[in-house]
Amino acid sequence: MTEQAQKCPELAANVVDIRRFSTHDGHGIRTTIFLKGCSLACAWCQNPETISPRIRPVFFRGRCIDCGLCLEAGGDAVSQDAGGAVHVDTAAEADWETLTRVCPTGAIAYDAKRYTVSELVEIAQRDRVFFGEGGGVTVSGGEPLFLPHFAVALLRALREEGINTAIETALNVREEFLFEALPWVDHVFADCKLIDPEAHRRYTGRGNEQVLANLAALLRSDRRDDVTVRTPLIPGITDTVANIAGIARFISGIHPGVRYELLNYNPLAAAKYDVQPHLTYVFDTDENPRMLTRAQLAEFEDLARANGVSNLVTT
Amino acid sequence: MTTAPETIDSTVLAALAATPRIDRLREAMLAEPRVVCADQALITTRVYREHAQEPVIVKRALALAAALRELPIRITPGELIVGNRTPSVRAGVITPEAGASWIDREIETLPTRPQDRFEVDAETIRAFREQIYPAWQGVSLEDVIRQRYGTEIDQIAKVVKINQKDHAQGHICPNTTKWLQHGPAGLAREASVRGATATGEQAEFYRAVEIAMQGVQEFALRYAERADALAETHPADAAELREVARIMRKLATGPAETFHEAVQATWLLFVVLHTESNASSFSPGRLDLALLPYYEAGIASGELTPEHALELIECLFLKFNQVVYLRNSHSAKYFAGFPIGFNIAVGGQDRAGNDVANPLSFLFLQAQKHLGLPQPNLSVRLHDDTDEALLKEAVRVVARGSGMPQFFNDRSVIPALEAVGVSHADALDYAIVGCVELTTQGNNLGWSDAAMFNLNKALELTLTGGIDLQTGQRIGPDNGSLTDFATWAELETAFARTIDHFIDAMIAACEVVERAHMDVLPTAFLSAVIDDCLTAGVDVTAGGALYDLSGIQMIQVASLADSLAALKQLVFDDGLISRERMLEALRADFVGYEVEQALMLNKAPKYGNDIAYVDELGEQWAGYFADRLAGYTNIRGGRYHTGMYTVSAHVPMGQNVGASPDGRKAGTPLADGGLSPVYGRDMAGPTAVLQSVSRMANEYTSNGGLLNLKFLPEFFDSETNVDKFAQFLRAFVALEVPHVQFNVVRREDLIAAKQDPDRYRSLTIRVAGYTAYFTELSGDLQDEIIARTTQDL
Repeated sequence: MTEQAQKCPELAANVVDIRRFSTHDGHGIRTTIFLKGCSLACAWCQNPETISPRIRPVFFRGRCIDCGLCLEAGGDAVSQDAGGAVHVDTAAEADWETLTRVCPTGAIAYDAKRYTVSELVEIAQRDRVFFGEGGGVTVSGGEPLFLPHFAVALLRALREEGINTAIETALNVREEFLFEALPWVDHVFADCKLIDPEAHRRYTGRGNEQVLANLAALLRSDRRDDVTVRTPLIPGITDTVANIAGIARFISGIHPGVRYELLNYNPLAAAKYDVQPHLTYVFDTDENPRMLTRAQLAEFEDLARANGVSNLVTT
Repeated sequence: MTTAPETIDSTVLAALAATPRIDRLREAMLAEPRVVCADQALITTRVYREHAQEPVIVKRALALAAALRELPIRITPGELIVGNRTPSVRAGVITPEAGASWIDREIETLPTRPQDRFEVDAETIRAFREQIYPAWQGVSLEDVIRQRYGTEIDQIAKVVKINQKDHAQGHICPNTTKWLQHGPAGLAREASVRGATATGEQAEFYRAVEIAMQGVQEFALRYAERADALAETHPADAAELREVARIMRKLATGPAETFHEAVQATWLLFVVLHTESNASSFSPGRLDLALLPYYEAGIASGELTPEHALELIECLFLKFNQVVYLRNSHSAKYFAGFPIGFNIAVGGQDRAGNDVANPLSFLFLQAQKHLGLPQPNLSVRLHDDTDEALLKEAVRVVARGSGMPQFFNDRSVIPALEAVGVSHADALDYAIVGCVELTTQGNNLGWSDAAMFNLNKALELTLTGGIDLQTGQRIGPDNGSLTDFATWAELETAFARTIDHFIDAMIAACEVVERAHMDVLPTAFLSAVIDDCLTAGVDVTAGGALYDLSGIQMIQVASLADSLAALKQLVFDDGLISRERMLEALRADFVGYEVEQALMLNKAPKYGNDIAYVDELGEQWAGYFADRLAGYTNIRGGRYHTGMYTVSAHVPMGQNVGASPDGRKAGTPLADGGLSPVYGRDMAGPTAVLQSVSRMANEYTSNGGLLNLKFLPEFFDSETNVDKFAQFLRAFVALEVPHVQFNVVRREDLIAAKQDPDRYRSLTIRVAGYTAYFTELSGDLQDEIIARTTQDL
């Protein structure tokens, strides 16, 4: 990537959400930017709206007041049943631009908005006073490096404004892009979900060769201490003894001081699939497991320690 | 000797535990019922009859002195700090000279009314009806105001609520330091010396002060005698009781010297203030400064330990919960939950601008952490150089979920006070009275709760041409209606005229009320601890204080900003709703106009989201109101100024307002707090809220501002988050936001959010790398969060 390409404030990307006062995505008080687009499609994805890179219409049934203002412009995508309830098929072709505008409640909306690098930097600047020493901006997703040129331009622009940066990446990206971004990133949160290539393929749609290669490269680099490896504990899938022990051995074998964090299962994500009819959540609603208990979590943490991880991040 | 902050071992102080004594006293106190007490009313009625020829100020002092000599007193063994104005704790005291007619109307309903109940026995009702009420009909403060101006006050009631109509006004911070140094005997001597050469009203004033102080001396001696007597019958507690007796005997005749004496003397001051005036918000102010010399001397001599000091402070804190205040049922709606307003401010800058954090600041926080009671109302002053350890300890106390301490910002408050004429040194030394009302210490009758002005009702009357949407009656001037305003500028002109009309009417009413207090409720004892009353020989109600302000609350700028933004954008700029249709929708309370309501709710920007367009509309009209008010002078010669806070008035004030252009249904609450966004409308998180609030000029809250923020308890679950919270508060200081307090979201809130999602839209659930609003989760997932949100932290 040329110097010029890295400094391109007009580059734009689709942003699902910008969450100010984020306190769980890195050090200090942060603004987390959720970008659209991911090269994996994890069956438990907690931000399913970020998988597709395209902006899509969504319909929030709970916000709809059945006013019917959308019927005229809606064509086949919108219908009203005998009881007066409005139904919206977001997969259908329609003039969604008009539909999102006429809907008075925001029940019909786009799942993302396009922002340029300079717009995002301006938004980040607004909370500068809150960032203090440790806080800053976390670029999340989706896969923050899914659009590598945009990601590098954004991260570099933020850093040149003196804003601390972090990324939350699944690492299924080309190694050169990861290392192109790295100079502009203060901290990398790198997911390692499944150590078994077949299981990885089954649950995320891709094998884990690229992920593990990138992870190894990161942990061998001089930035190894700016990396936190994270595994989300998905009941019955990633929270197996073999998986956690395997990941722990793999990463600590490369860098004995590796920071490793186990993320508890987040059952709340299931709700988001209601507005993503083209996607299916890994658990049926009535079989959605609960969070792991503190004791269960501790067992896995002990397991990671027993397999070489000394620098375990616990909350 | 002063202790520099870096020498404070805050971890040691924070590790101190509450003693079994405190737990025992606390439980016993909370188990006592609240009852109505007429003992003092009977004494006052008798004294007024016996001394009918005396000037009012002398009669009041005689009544106070008689009460201090005659009221039944009680000491509970185990108490280290003693004294109350009633034998039972948390009693409601009838004060007929201030208000008797409302008690006559409401006395039977006090045990069953919806808010702030008191038990009342048949004997009390009989004594009130037969012996008390007949003497005060037509002469109490309440009746005097009603006779002089009742009709006018009623006419503006839906826009302006005039306060302090049936009780003494309180809301004042006495000169505790002077009290500690001189005591009742010293102040009596000063009054006597000055009175010797005075004539007329000044002579009467000095005579009244002397009478009051003599009563206090006898009151202290009665406690000494009671403690000695109890020591005879309670051998296990004899040593403590003898010490209490020694202290009370000493305070009757001289100043406090030890820390225990100083804490006891402080409480004695507030008991007597509450005996003289049954009012809310006599506030101790900066006790970590006033008590510091006594603490340091005790520690230096080895006679005091931090543990014992903390126990004494906790005994004092318990006492602050033993005085409550009987309000009429209407007032109890506006000020719900027995707010009595013993506000203590710790931290901040001293008169020279240095950080004052000291061991006592930490001990006060520790006492709050242990007790978690509603009183005192504990405040922490923050500034650029606030001690980091104090800030973090305050955050840890907040995390306990009592909503305290609240935080005040020197960077906002000090310039705001200077703008209303307070000297720089006095502004640096500010304290808080009641909830969030700002004051200088010991020299200021701020009259901070003079009136509340409902800007949203004023906007409604502007849109309707003066017609009340709820009743169809004319209650305001006709400056045209929304359908007549061809441009935004025309609407603004009419709104300004409506505001002007009600400000005029409000000021006239405030003058009548203040004059009535001067005539009916002069307060010689209070005046002796407010500079410069004693040197001037002028009662505090008559303008004897160095500073004489009157505070008016603007209700509520957040709701107003949302309504104006919706009107401007949807009606005047984008034309999505016609003027006629907007007015019809408001008249219909949106029934049949659901689409318009949805547009108002969803397609217009809302205050609290860091959107300059809407925030500045609020700022503009707050500024207009404050500027107009600044042109008036109160009858004590001081200035009117503005505050942006309510206790619970956003609920009854909202009941008075019809449907509004922000999409709010008729009669529903306005924004809470005063600076807070409308609940559920702040979608961009707390940093955006602070940015929005920071657009309000500091001067609009020289009488006090109130910002409520809510957090889920999980936010406080780790020491890392304490650091983040401390950083958040550093930014709060930098942004010059005057005040913030933190409420921890409770299980009940989440249940309410599930049932009424529209009001709780901004409630977010935070998990790493995840983004969602609570109300958009499915029911079973909401239940999951509800289940893991415990009630007790």
